[in-house]
Amino acid sequence: MRCADRIAGAALLAFSVAFAVGALRHYTYWGASGPGSAFLPFWLGVGMAVLAGMQLVGAVRSGVAGPAWLPRGEGLRRLVVVLAVTVAFVALLKVVGMILGTVLFLIVLLRWLEGYRWPVTLGVAVLAAGAHYLVFTYWLRVPFPVSALGF
Amino acid sequence: MDVLSNLAMGFSIALTPFNLLMATAGVIVGTLIGALPGVGPVSGVALLLPLTFGMDPTSGIIMLAALYAGSMYGGTITSVLINTPGESASVVTCLDGYQMALQGRAGPALGVAALGSFIAGTFGVILLMLTSPALARWALSFGPPETFALMLLGLTTVTGLTGENALKGYMSMLFGLMLSMVGFDIISGDARYAFGIPEMMDGVDFLPVAIGLFGLGEVLVGAEEAAELHILQGRYGLRDVMLSAGDWVRSRWAIVRGTVLGFFIGVLPGAGPTIATFLAYALEKKVSRHPAEFGKGAIEGVAAPEAANNAASAGAMVPMLTLGIPGSATTAIMLGGLMMWGLRPGPLLFEKNPQFVWGLIASQYIANVMLLILNVAFIPMFVRALRIPYSILMPLIIIFCITGAYAQKNAVWDVGQMLVFGVLGYAMKKLGYSPAALTLALVLGPLAERALRQSLIISDAGLGIFFLRPISAVLTVAALAAVAVPVARALRAAASRIRRVPVPAPED
Repeated sequence: MRCADRIAGAALLAFSVAFAVGALRHYTYWGASGPGSAFLPFWLGVGMAVLAGMQLVGAVRSGVAGPAWLPRGEGLRRLVVVLAVTVAFVALLKVVGMILGTVLFLIVLLRWLEGYRWPVTLGVAVLAAGAHYLVFTYWLRVPFPVSALGF
Repeated sequence: MDVLSNLAMGFSIALTPFNLLMATAGVIVGTLIGALPGVGPVSGVALLLPLTFGMDPTSGIIMLAALYAGSMYGGTITSVLINTPGESASVVTCLDGYQMALQGRAGPALGVAALGSFIAGTFGVILLMLTSPALARWALSFGPPETFALMLLGLTTVTGLTGENALKGYMSMLFGLMLSMVGFDIISGDARYAFGIPEMMDGVDFLPVAIGLFGLGEVLVGAEEAAELHILQGRYGLRDVMLSAGDWVRSRWAIVRGTVLGFFIGVLPGAGPTIATFLAYALEKKVSRHPAEFGKGAIEGVAAPEAANNAASAGAMVPMLTLGIPGSATTAIMLGGLMMWGLRPGPLLFEKNPQFVWGLIASQYIANVMLLILNVAFIPMFVRALRIPYSILMPLIIIFCITGAYAQKNAVWDVGQMLVFGVLGYAMKKLGYSPAALTLALVLGPLAERALRQSLIISDAGLGIFFLRPISAVLTVAALAAVAVPVARALRAAASRIRRVPVPAPED
């Protein structure tokens, strides 16, 4: 992972070329009255390709390893757990609903990741879900998804 | 005399018990919204807008404007104490505010922000009151070339400021502009880069991106560590936030410059408080006798942008009220509110609805006094709220990010978008890219594109139009200089490295 600058440079170079080519292929560069919908996207793609190319060349020529961006060991485990639980929460939002989802989300993270005792975990989870319901559902009337249980 | 009698009429409206209550609610909720990472003035105003429909429009706008001002104050608290901007106009405050807090000077950082915000907010309202008609006429003379040149200047200046690597800063900015191209093109109607997905046709929304980059991205960086060191301890009582004579001397002109610059940037359509803070910081660094201290805890680096964002939020009201053009994303939402209340924003608003306009102006004076008291005397209360252990705060912030992303349009799609940008924000921070440059480019992109295309349509000289009109010429040259200076510096550094390193002989 220490060659992140090279990977990012190459990926952005490919992305920007596709962006510019896609603009020219699908949209109008210059219309009857002036610049069309492809004009700025094309030049943004060209600009990004130049900068990404500079970064790629610089990273390859310097021979210096880029910054490490992923942690190792415990740090990586914590990052993966937090991200995975968050993705699962969002993916299941329409099924479990916001309030029940909040309680479950907090229980998983506080109990299993952070190691809080059950009273603290449940206390924070129920208080947070209650405050969330009061402020956003009851007061601000945001129509959050609800579970089959009705909350 | 006319102004004074109108102002007296405004105060008689703003001081009615219900309007006073609305202003109080606005400043308290606004300060909290500004302080909490992941929710900013835009989402705050958007969330509370539906509540105002049952009210008299004057009470509604008083609450929203107080909330807007409050969020500008509140955003500072998290910038200084946990290095996470509560909203986009506080991004710059992190640079020196957090460094001051690390040095045990969080009190003066919060103090100068509150005082600077009060002075700027109050002068902003005075300027709004006195100069609205003239400024409206001046801004009316701005054609597309001037608008584009101004945005170009904002974008290039921001990029020069954020991060140590100028190349990565410009790449972040270009990526933001590329994202802003997604969705319906307002001129041709093309659904660009939407791949047939209906949600993509509406474009990449600013709010989920900002919440992802600054809220979730920051949380993910913090999630790696189990340590509890993110919220800085300190004393924030009344005595601690008072400025010393030395601090006042160093920051007073920064406040004045931030106020004036912020107000005028705020007035310009499309350039709201966020861009004002970046320009104010850049200006302060340029005029400072000790520019090397910037980024390491210079009090001017907190005073100027904090003054600028409050003055700009007052300034942003000018084009909204007089021309019907929003000066910022928040005023764009307020403008929608005005129309839903059945008012027609524009020059006639001052003549046809004087009670509305002057009630709003008077309530802004009152809101600023309330906010000064709240942010000097009650800072320990906000700090106590922030002292919850990070291991508890972290999942709560994630829930807030999900809530903020969802609540704007009640769409799970936006929450998914926020997640993607959260991961991107994490990677950008780790690899030295600039989330701030990306965010600003995303906001300014559509406006800048329209101005660019309109300029080229009316131009007989192609891109030369930006150099043929005096205001746009000055702004364009300044924008190009902002790009050229770091590039020249990088090239000179590279050249000196090459001179020092012996060139290896070819293998053959």
